[in-house]
Amino acid sequence: MITRAATVTEREPVFDDAFLRKLEQLELLARKIFRGLLRGERITARRGRGIEFSDFRHYWPGDDFRHIDWNVYSRLDQLFLKLHASEEDVTLHLIVDTSASMAFGEPSKFDHARRLAAALGYIALNNLDRVAVSAFADGLGAGLPATKSRRHIARLLAFLAALPCAGVTRFGAALRDFAACTRSPGLVVVISDLLGVGEAREGIATLCYGGHDVVVIQLLAEAEIDPPLDGALQLVDAETADELEVTVDPELRLLYRRRLERELEAIEHFCRRRGVEYLRASTAIGFEDVLLKYLRQGAHLR
Amino acid sequence: MIELAYPLALISLLAIPLLLALHLLRPRRRRVLISSLALWQAALREREGSQGLRRLLHNLSLLLLLAAALVLGLALAGPQWLTRATEQADIVLVLDVSASMQARSGIGRTRFDQALDEAASIVDRLPPNARLLVMTSGRRALLRTGFEADRGVLRQALREIRPGDEAGRPREALALALSLIRGRSDARIYFVTDGAFEPEVDPGSPKVILRVVGTPARNVAITRFDLRQEHGVEDRFQVLLAVRNYTDAPLVVPASVTLEGRELFARTLTLAAKDEQTLVLALTGRALGQAIARIEPNDGLAADNRAFALLDAPEVLHVLLLSRNNVYLEAVLAALPDTDVVKRDTLGNDDIAQLARSFDVVVFDGITPPPLPPGNFLLLDTVAPALPFSAAGRVTQPDIVASGPSALMRNIDLSAVRIEAARRVAVDPRTPGLQRLFWSRETDLALALIDESRKLVYLGFDLAASNFPRQTAFPLFVSQSLAWLRPRGAERVSNHIAAGSVISLSLAAGESQAIVHTPSGKAHTLAANDGAALYDATATAGIYRYSAGNVTRHFAVSLNDARESDLNRRWSPREQHPKADAGSASARGFQPLWPYLLATALLLLALEWLVWARSRGNA
Repeated sequence: MITRAATVTEREPVFDDAFLRKLEQLELLARKIFRGLLRGERITARRGRGIEFSDFRHYWPGDDFRHIDWNVYSRLDQLFLKLHASEEDVTLHLIVDTSASMAFGEPSKFDHARRLAAALGYIALNNLDRVAVSAFADGLGAGLPATKSRRHIARLLAFLAALPCAGVTRFGAALRDFAACTRSPGLVVVISDLLGVGEAREGIATLCYGGHDVVVIQLLAEAEIDPPLDGALQLVDAETADELEVTVDPELRLLYRRRLERELEAIEHFCRRRGVEYLRASTAIGFEDVLLKYLRQGAHLR
Repeated sequence: MIELAYPLALISLLAIPLLLALHLLRPRRRRVLISSLALWQAALREREGSQGLRRLLHNLSLLLLLAAALVLGLALAGPQWLTRATEQADIVLVLDVSASMQARSGIGRTRFDQALDEAASIVDRLPPNARLLVMTSGRRALLRTGFEADRGVLRQALREIRPGDEAGRPREALALALSLIRGRSDARIYFVTDGAFEPEVDPGSPKVILRVVGTPARNVAITRFDLRQEHGVEDRFQVLLAVRNYTDAPLVVPASVTLEGRELFARTLTLAAKDEQTLVLALTGRALGQAIARIEPNDGLAADNRAFALLDAPEVLHVLLLSRNNVYLEAVLAALPDTDVVKRDTLGNDDIAQLARSFDVVVFDGITPPPLPPGNFLLLDTVAPALPFSAAGRVTQPDIVASGPSALMRNIDLSAVRIEAARRVAVDPRTPGLQRLFWSRETDLALALIDESRKLVYLGFDLAASNFPRQTAFPLFVSQSLAWLRPRGAERVSNHIAAGSVISLSLAAGESQAIVHTPSGKAHTLAANDGAALYDATATAGIYRYSAGNVTRHFAVSLNDARESDLNRRWSPREQHPKADAGSASARGFQPLWPYLLATALLLLALEWLVWARSRGNA
């Protein structure tokens, strides 16, 4: 008989009335912080056809003549292009890890991830931003196309509620598929436990190469941070079904925690070097607290 | 050595599979589902230096149980430690039979007599179930018995051994003995010797136990003796004689040489201490027959006071030449020494088989031969029927492109040879015994064939239609062909060998056996193969006579070995191994081992219980 390190209680509705009420309260709080992702309000680093001046550069054959600065040409007899910062409509991509390892925790990491995704989507839709949702496990799974209207909030919640939790994590492959499928860069929020994922860094780097602004929210269950295990056990990997016979004692638990800390620090360090916003959260903390902390950081706004 | 009192009790080891089954039925570890094993594996690797050790510890309980079962099963079988078992090992007795073993001090017994006593003592003191192999070390190592437990057989084998007049090669004998006991840690070699050889023969193996016999002896020896006809002078010959004094004092030694009983010279040699005198005497006359050199010192070894040599009359080669007219060939055959040529124009009605038996070589020069019977044949510009090559037309002006590595082609230069026309032959190249001598691009021009009863050399063109007879290669080719067809041995060189050597006796073609008479008159019959017979019973010095068909010839056997004649002990025996002495056999005893095994099994079971209890407590 197999027991779980942290038993998942009888499955309850993910988005019940209490959750919806929290969402409304959250939206009010967030509005003060969140300046919205409305067109014109969020200025990206990408240069384009906006109004605000960005820079000059030499003309190259093939450039649009209309952007040549004739004033400079008349004075210097050289062709220069005048560049402007692009002001564009940004899509919020929510990418949720649905692999089997997400089923752990009390509440489960999976429920926590879906609630976080729902809350972010709710706030974005209320601010008239585009919101798209993708699930991934051993590959890029089901997806909700980008929508912009508040009318689609119910559709968003229904999509998240119907997501399954199974499969092996193929983080790198899934994010590569996502980067290949996404035409325009946007704000990508990845919600995953990043456990047992050797290729997490590769996946995150792929998103960065695609021009996305990336936010990584790593969710961990308390049972993973400080596992309540002791004695002679046969550990079974939820994703791969691999087995490991082990006698857990305080020394081994200490080594496990040190190893986990090193892993988390490595991921965080990697994200910071890449300019990726990184947030780590335990399922013991309510999703609304996580969300407010994230919004207060405001780092996703350039 | 361990013996089992109750071997059937080993059936109890069948309990091991039962234990394995019980182990598999034990309560398993609690299975816990976790999100990822990666961190646990990393933590375990960090804690455990070795994963293999880790696995071993996981199964420690099972391993202890299996070990306990194994030890209990062995205990039930009643193992007993057999004490003082080293004497049961196989033993190789190597007896030195080289010439120096004939040495004696004064009127005492010879070294070989002492060696036989020592060997008999080793046999007498053998433990009851030990086996012994007797071998002798002379010029060659010879096994005289197999590993034998019967003392009577061993003693009889020792009685039949006699020392030879041969130089010893103990290195080979010891190497053979060591190879006989390779991989057997308890086996031993006893080497009974006088130690009169160089120290480097010592193989350095602790398995070799030396038994050195003999006392110092003085010696003066003939170390070289030979005679030869002077080259190109029929009535003069030379005698070579070297005599060596091995003592530390100067000596006067009478020396003489006789040829067929006629004294050639006799004189007294004065030899300084450790000195050697070499005499080269030029004498008038023809050196034919048996020569014996003698010295008469008062020393310990007689075998090297005589030496033998001989020159047999050269054997005449009888050739039948079947040719219409070939001045070149006739001239060459006439010029060859000791060759008798009979010429005919045709074969006529004569029986070719009878002719082939009567003549050493039959030459067909342009005359078509009948199917060839057993014998030796030289075919010039003709092909006999029923051969592995057959006529297939003619080729004009063939260029010689290559020649084979045959002995017939030694020193033959064909670069200037031009041929107007030659026979084309179809050759079956897979024929065993067929040699290609030389050839053109179109065909083989010369071949040699040897089969069970025939030898033949084929030359595929008319000598008159080529410049080959005018080349120096031609007489060489004919001479070497005849020598290959009918070997006669070395000419005008003393036919003698070192005692103990193997000699190859040259016989006439078709002879199937030879009879060898030793100096003592004993006759040995040998089977001949391809005109030769091998003879190895040459341990005794003297003149040997052998006959095959109507031909009788001789060869001489002498010691003529300066090292063997040195009777001083040069090989210092290493430390002996009294514990390994075959004579030290004592009562054997059995030490029962089951109490120790039972205690070990109980200890293992206690450990297993501790491990299991601790594991259960942790779980």
